Amino acid sequence: MRGGYLLTKVTQAVITIFLLVLLNFVLFRMMPGSPERVLGRNPNVSAAALEATRERWGLDKPVLPDQFVAYLAATAQGDLGYSFFYRGLPVVDVLSDRIWPTVILFGLGELIAIVVGIALGAYSGWRRGGAVDHIGNGVSLILYSMPYFLLGMGLLLVFAVWLGWFPVYGMFTPGATYDSILDQTVDFLWHLALPLATVALGLIGQYSIVMRSSIVDTLGEDYVTTARAKGLHDRRVLRKHALPNAMLPMATLIAINLGFVIAGAITVEVVFNWPGLGTLTVQALETRDYPLLQGIFLLLSVSVVLANLVADLLYQFLDPRVKA
Amino acid sequence: MAVRVSRRAFSVLAVAALLAVALLPSAGRPTRAASPLVLRLGTTTQIQSLNPWQIVEEEDYEVMTLNYDVLVGWGPDLEPAAGFAESWTRSTDGKTWTFKIRDGMKWSDGQPATAEDARWTMQFQLDQLKKDGTVGDGYLDVYPQAAGVTSVSAPDPTTLVVTTNLPNSLILTSYVPILPEHVWSKLDPKAATTSFQNPAPIVGTGPYQVVEYKPGEYVRLARNPYYRGQQGAADEILMTYFSSPDTMVQALKKGDVDYARGVPAAQFDQLKKDADPHITAVEGVSNTFYELAFNCYDKPIPGGGASTTALADPAFRDALGYAIDKQALVDKIFGGHAAVGDTQLTPQMAEWHTSPPADQLRTFSIETANQKLLAAGYPLDASGRRLDKDGKPISLRLNWPGASEEAKAAQLIQAWFAQLGIKTTAAAVESAKLAQLILPPEADPPGKAQFDLFIWDWVGDTDPYSLLKVLISKEIGASSDSNWSNPQYDQLYDQQLAATSDTDRKAIIDQMQLLFYQQAPYHVLWYPTNLDAYRTDRFGGWRNQPTKTGVPFFGFGSANYTLLTDANAPTPSPTASGAAPPPTTPAASASPATPGSGGETGGGVPVALVVGGVGLVAVIAGILLLMRRRTGPDEEE
Repeated sequence: MRGGYLLTKVTQAVITIFLLVLLNFVLFRMMPGSPERVLGRNPNVSAAALEATRERWGLDKPVLPDQFVAYLAATAQGDLGYSFFYRGLPVVDVLSDRIWPTVILFGLGELIAIVVGIALGAYSGWRRGGAVDHIGNGVSLILYSMPYFLLGMGLLLVFAVWLGWFPVYGMFTPGATYDSILDQTVDFLWHLALPLATVALGLIGQYSIVMRSSIVDTLGEDYVTTARAKGLHDRRVLRKHALPNAMLPMATLIAINLGFVIAGAITVEVVFNWPGLGTLTVQALETRDYPLLQGIFLLLSVSVVLANLVADLLYQFLDPRVKA
Repeated sequence: MAVRVSRRAFSVLAVAALLAVALLPSAGRPTRAASPLVLRLGTTTQIQSLNPWQIVEEEDYEVMTLNYDVLVGWGPDLEPAAGFAESWTRSTDGKTWTFKIRDGMKWSDGQPATAEDARWTMQFQLDQLKKDGTVGDGYLDVYPQAAGVTSVSAPDPTTLVVTTNLPNSLILTSYVPILPEHVWSKLDPKAATTSFQNPAPIVGTGPYQVVEYKPGEYVRLARNPYYRGQQGAADEILMTYFSSPDTMVQALKKGDVDYARGVPAAQFDQLKKDADPHITAVEGVSNTFYELAFNCYDKPIPGGGASTTALADPAFRDALGYAIDKQALVDKIFGGHAAVGDTQLTPQMAEWHTSPPADQLRTFSIETANQKLLAAGYPLDASGRRLDKDGKPISLRLNWPGASEEAKAAQLIQAWFAQLGIKTTAAAVESAKLAQLILPPEADPPGKAQFDLFIWDWVGDTDPYSLLKVLISKEIGASSDSNWSNPQYDQLYDQQLAATSDTDRKAIIDQMQLLFYQQAPYHVLWYPTNLDAYRTDRFGGWRNQPTKTGVPFFGFGSANYTLLTDANAPTPSPTASGAAPPPTTPAASASPATPGSGGETGGGVPVALVVGGVGLVAVIAGILLLMRRRTGPDEEE
């Protein structure tokens, strides 16, 4: 039945994405006001200029069906329209530059947090009541409850402003020229360190807390007792028997998190002026850039759907019961 | 004998090594080969467009005037100064202007820049205005119209003749850049003013040209080797957008930016207090005013209009003016970093601004406001509510477009008006929504002017006419947002445009300001100030514009950039980059570098990103592998 499971999940994902596309259209048309009027708040603007603007952005046509049909056709072709704020720059061009910084920052942050968080959580849970547990749990709670911007600002003040070890903002040294790609990579990593640490630390707290309680839950399970009774090495009981079962809630958490991570991205990116999707979202919101917002939301929601699809597919490997 | 390292120890070492590489400052700092001297600016407003016909923000204008010359530039105190034109003469009737264009001037790509380019640009704008009524979505339409330009010709490469039908001198304050005909004439005219992005590298005659632009991130400019005048010390200018002003200020303190524009008031005071010898914090006058506007529309609008006829009564608006403590607004909202407002012309237009005489200025007094309201026929009812002339209790809607300063002002005004028995319902409204609410039936499409009061702002040109214009009757349905109509004001507006001398014009504009103040379609609440800060350890030669009351950058024109010197140059010698080479001489090098040749910051970015990312992933994967192997064969059953 594996083929059937796959088909169901993929169909669900496709339907969800289609609904998102619809919602995206409706949501942005429901917003108050008319964007060309903001452009028009200008002592020099003429009625002709406003009319020309409306025409250029298709705002002169009725919402249904003209604007809707045009939107569907364009979206299907990967054309997300033109940015209002950037005066007609294609949305795809604006977005394309901003995807990589976010993917790298949060991809790596997630990866580090998964490795360290799971290790820390598993160890704390396994050695419940030990020194690592006490300290780890306390630190995790603090990190988990601390908003990203606070953590980020703290790291920035200490390591960038006071100690001066790291740059305050951006992705590369302004105006630097590089002898080699290696130099440039080092410069990039040097700029990446603090935002990456912020993201990773924030997530580590969360992951280790969930992992710890998940491990603690399995400790009382019969199969763990059985494994111990068989005389297996303690570490082997953890790795082969407790850990795989404790990983199930983690997989769900990580998949769900991929969506929320973007929300966190906004504050971390703003603090470090990291040129990713987070700062772009803030900019687009501030300037009421409908087409750009539409593009960002579509990109984010589709990636969350896809992340969940991947998680669903992975789940059947983690938990054989899912296939049944 | 080899030392045996246990697997566990090895993985610990591997993690430590990774941390060391990633975290150690000495290891992390990039080695750079003779990097260009970069002036790093931080702003909290984004660049919107590089196409002059599409620009809006002051940051856009700053980049535009770095790229291009306007016909006549701005001097240290905003007086007309040499721009694309070196000098000019005016005919005796005041309607024909002859501009002398420098001999041998070049565009940044080495092509000759002549009077023909100026003629082409001005003719292009005139043609487009005639055809479409507009050129792009920017703010440049008004300049040829206000100056009354009728024709342009270039009899020879160094002479430009402009004919106008108005005897004013507004041609000297035009913000229209002179574009290279050899680039722009190849474009479709409609596209040139709208969808054309004007991509880097830009060709202009200004001191620096854009060589790289990342929307919402930064714009990078390189020195123009052919610039007509003194060369600035900076090889490049990098203008970075900060979503958070706090981060920008930290970057300034650390020395990661050289100039911060728009420092929040609290941090500005802190910078002053810290007194870092390398940081200068400067407060300058701005060209903006914030107003409390009334809906003065004086005819009934079915299903719309103001909530009371009192708003159309100048006496009512005048009385309310006494109930606004402008000094308290400035102190409480800006910590004193703003000026109390009076007329519609800003402090930056010092030569045009005239405050009403002291005996006519409204001084804050709830008592006086009460008396004036009673005298004008607005009594209180038994329960202390103020009644309008229809006997209806006055309850006003007060809106503003979402900014926090305006919200604080609204709160204070609400409390003051409450003391007069006037209830106000205060609410922030999204700016586009507010703009739509304001529209009267005259607008296209027609609106209902469904508002009472709002707080908003206007930004002016160097010349006062645009700020005077938003209050004329003809603008109702267009740029007028108070819907105020006063025939005397309209007449004065036309007269000042036709005035032949500045003295005559000033006398008329003085009358307009006084009339505006008395009639009070707006109460001008405050003039914000520009709070900027810059570092002096990398660049010297900073000058403010205006010299006494301004800040160094984001004013008018780009002359201040060319004055900067390298603060770390060994000794200032005539050959140093900071000193002035003779005008019109390209930089001393034999083969002038093309702007844009500076480094591989542009093309290499994604590669470095990918390499960096892949590298880190590989290291982490390695650690994961190591950790897996730890459970090696000895533990298999």
